[in-house]
Amino acid sequence: MNPEAFLQLDRVIHEKGRLAIMSMLAASPELSFTELRDALSMTDGNLTTHIRTLQEAGYVTVAKSYQNKRPLTTVSLTTQGRKAFTAYVDLLEQIVQQTKKIK
Amino acid sequence: METDWAAEHLQTIRTLMERSAVYRRALAPIMVWTGLLGIIFGIVGWNLDLRLGGFVEFWSVAAMVAIIGSFLLVRRQALRDSEPFWSPPTRRIAQALLPPLFIGGFINAMIAYFVAKEDKSSCLLVIILWLWLYGCAAFSAGFFVPRGMKLFGWVFIFAGCAVALLLASDSSLLKIPPCLLMASTFGILHLAYGIYLYVTEKRKNAA
Repeated sequence: MNPEAFLQLDRVIHEKGRLAIMSMLAASPELSFTELRDALSMTDGNLTTHIRTLQEAGYVTVAKSYQNKRPLTTVSLTTQGRKAFTAYVDLLEQIVQQTKKIK
Repeated sequence: METDWAAEHLQTIRTLMERSAVYRRALAPIMVWTGLLGIIFGIVGWNLDLRLGGFVEFWSVAAMVAIIGSFLLVRRQALRDSEPFWSPPTRRIAQALLPPLFIGGFINAMIAYFVAKEDKSSCLLVIILWLWLYGCAAFSAGFFVPRGMKLFGWVFIFAGCAVALLLASDSSLLKIPPCLLMASTFGILHLAYGIYLYVTEKRKNAA
């Protein structure tokens, strides 16, 4: 088994919570903070921390607006984030394929 | 072990992506189209003074026209956004709608072929059934549509209950011709929901 693939896995995305956020955003143009929080059963603080980490890595953008006079925070993947997510999934598939060959 | 871990991760990603891919086609034009169609068919049907068989056939045609029109509207939106028409969310919506709509269609066929076609009073029973089944269909679809569809389904279910209670109490309110009752339930409710969606969508876009 080639360990190189493991070493190449993006540490920012690899964390369970952040991977979940990235997965949800990869299938949707944008999601609100509430939608993400409810779908992933995360606390506000936990979600905020993960989004901040992803934002610092340049993988997501956060937009703030108002809907029916209430603040609305939406999150979406950046081009860089989409590329990183695709690369991460490709690597996972590569790992699965490699191990299947060994078996 | 490592394969299991990576495969599980991939499975989790797939599940989350499917859950996230909610239906994003604009529903407002579909609702307005269906609502206006319901009202127009209601007024035309009222003038035709239909018996049960003709009533069921007439509204089956209305339903077909509404479905075809809705599909065309969805297709136009998909083409405009350069997205596939028969996308996973569209498939899920269609699957959710199918069982109650199939039962409705089956009942229509049964009535059209086997029930005494001259009966006029049974039209109300059919309307109650349609309201309930349509409400169930809308509620099921609501699991994949973000805004208010589940509530819309409940409104139809309660409308069916209201008509059933009025029928049971032999209320004079039910002297209204069946086709006008269809227009004021299916037609008005769709139109109202469509207008609500248009207004809230505009507010969202303006924000």
